[in-house]
Amino acid sequence: MRAFLDGLYRLAGGLAAICLVTIAVLVVAQVIGRLIDGARKLAGLDPLGLLVPSLAEIAGFLLVGASFLALASTLRMGDHIRVSILLQQVPAKVAAVLEVWCLAVAFALVAYFAWHSGWQAYDSHVYGEVSFGIIPIPLWIPQSVMTAGIAVFAISLADDLLSALVGKSPSYAIANRDDVIEGVE
Amino acid sequence: MDLSLVAFCLGLGMLAALATGIWVAVALFGVALTAMMLLVSAPTGPVLATTVWGASNSWDLTALPMFIWMGEILFRSRLSEDMFAGLSPWMRNLPGRLLHVNILGCGIFAAVSGSSAATTATIGKMSLPELKRRGYDEVMAIGTLAGSGTLGLLIPPSIILIVYGAATEQSIARLFVAGVLPGAMLCVLFMGYVVIWSMMNRSKMPPAEEQVPFIERLKATRRLFPVIGLIAGVIGSIYAGLASPTEAAAIGVLLSLGLSWLSGTLTRKSFVDALMGATRTSCMIAFILAGAAFLTVAMGFTGIPRELAGWIGSLGLTPLQLLAALTLFFVLLGCFLDGISVVVLTTSVILPMVEQAGLDLIWFGIYLVLVVEMSQITPPVGFNLFVLQGMTGHNIFKVAKMALPFFLLMILAVILIVAFPGLALWLPETMMSS
Repeated sequence: MRAFLDGLYRLAGGLAAICLVTIAVLVVAQVIGRLIDGARKLAGLDPLGLLVPSLAEIAGFLLVGASFLALASTLRMGDHIRVSILLQQVPAKVAAVLEVWCLAVAFALVAYFAWHSGWQAYDSHVYGEVSFGIIPIPLWIPQSVMTAGIAVFAISLADDLLSALVGKSPSYAIANRDDVIEGVE
Repeated sequence: MDLSLVAFCLGLGMLAALATGIWVAVALFGVALTAMMLLVSAPTGPVLATTVWGASNSWDLTALPMFIWMGEILFRSRLSEDMFAGLSPWMRNLPGRLLHVNILGCGIFAAVSGSSAATTATIGKMSLPELKRRGYDEVMAIGTLAGSGTLGLLIPPSIILIVYGAATEQSIARLFVAGVLPGAMLCVLFMGYVVIWSMMNRSKMPPAEEQVPFIERLKATRRLFPVIGLIAGVIGSIYAGLASPTEAAAIGVLLSLGLSWLSGTLTRKSFVDALMGATRTSCMIAFILAGAAFLTVAMGFTGIPRELAGWIGSLGLTPLQLLAALTLFFVLLGCFLDGISVVVLTTSVILPMVEQAGLDLIWFGIYLVLVVEMSQITPPVGFNLFVLQGMTGHNIFKVAKMALPFFLLMILAVILIVAFPGLALWLPETMMSS
């Protein structure tokens, strides 16, 4: 079970990173295409009209994938911002109770969010909604990815909530922080 | 129930949620959801899903992970060493000498990275031990670093300006260009202070370093030229309208990978670390932005920001008085919250008020970021303080005291851009595409 869950979080995080790389590759390709066309124009040739079709929409969808699929691994690495002054000041027992409270609230909200995000994807599928632009993309695809990301996030919150309830430290508290300085503004 | 009472309770609820350690983004969602359920008959769940979807799938916002990634790559390259070696020969004649390396180094790194913590860490890694070894005053060494590290927020590319632009639907390109002069002005203010301080405290300055001949200086700086070229390329192409911020950022990622490869620091590990770091940071910010978008919509439904704007309007404050009150409020808020949270809370709740006061939203973005910069060095929560605590071992209150003169200089900078709005607004007006 442990291995499966850790694999799930890592898989989602990896897919998120792949989304980012894809955005970068597509945007660079677009710029190169424009440069080639510009050069042809200067040389008196007809521009080839090189461009990545629907780049703006596709990049937006990939960004949704990157943002939501990484939620769980970001939580587990302790990279979601929170105000931890109080948690650090109070005795360990009180802090453990506060931790359960935070995780319970977060889990409830995120589960609710996942549920409605799922309905949104379902509705888009039923009504056949597609994106604007040269290539119409069915909206349920990126919306399902968003739902999947939020669902994995909800699972990871439940995972940590269970650990906190049995008195163990949540994952983000014991994450290996060799990079304390990155990740914040 | 009376609306102002509900608003008050919601505000209190937000503070309680944040204080008990609930993640900022989750607190934004929670308060927005509560407000919707208490005050609005609209179906909360579907509004939540459509708002978040609409706010998250945005071409403009794709600039955010790209710029974060670019900064992460350069952060892992040799830039820190190159910066000190390249800048220090030039600073030896200026009163205050190598202390200026901190300020200029931060200014330059800020122009490749949108993060103030990364800026402070990158420059400090090399300059703090060097300055100490050469006998510079520690208070000034740490103070200059804490102060100028905040430049990462203002000098483009700036993560926090992207956040502001995305939340207020302002042009990110114009915001970036608007940040250039105020950022340069802060650098000049900081350097001016160091010059004056060092002339008044000659006894605290170490003996002069040897002079370096001009040719040697150029040689020492040669590794900085590609970075300076990168900066000029990224900001210049946005200014000239040749590239959108996203395009400039993606090309910036490619060139940074190239620079990192040339300097021999590009390994499989550094690539993966940078990519995963960027993925997580942009995920964290995107999640906060999603929460903020939902809070904005929820607040719009409740009418609280309108009421607040009307109430402020009825007080008959002049824009100056309003700004003074807001500055005080932001500085207080910034003592406990990080900059991005301050910005998104602001845009969700008080933007109607700002619009009603007739303030330009591009100008207000620069003003807001300047004020938020101060929050980086105010205890008990200030990210630059945390970074420097980790690097120097001094506790955050001591570091904050060392940074106090720079905090005051930032207040001066705020006064200057209020008095001369053109500092922020002139350059964007000259942009070729608008």
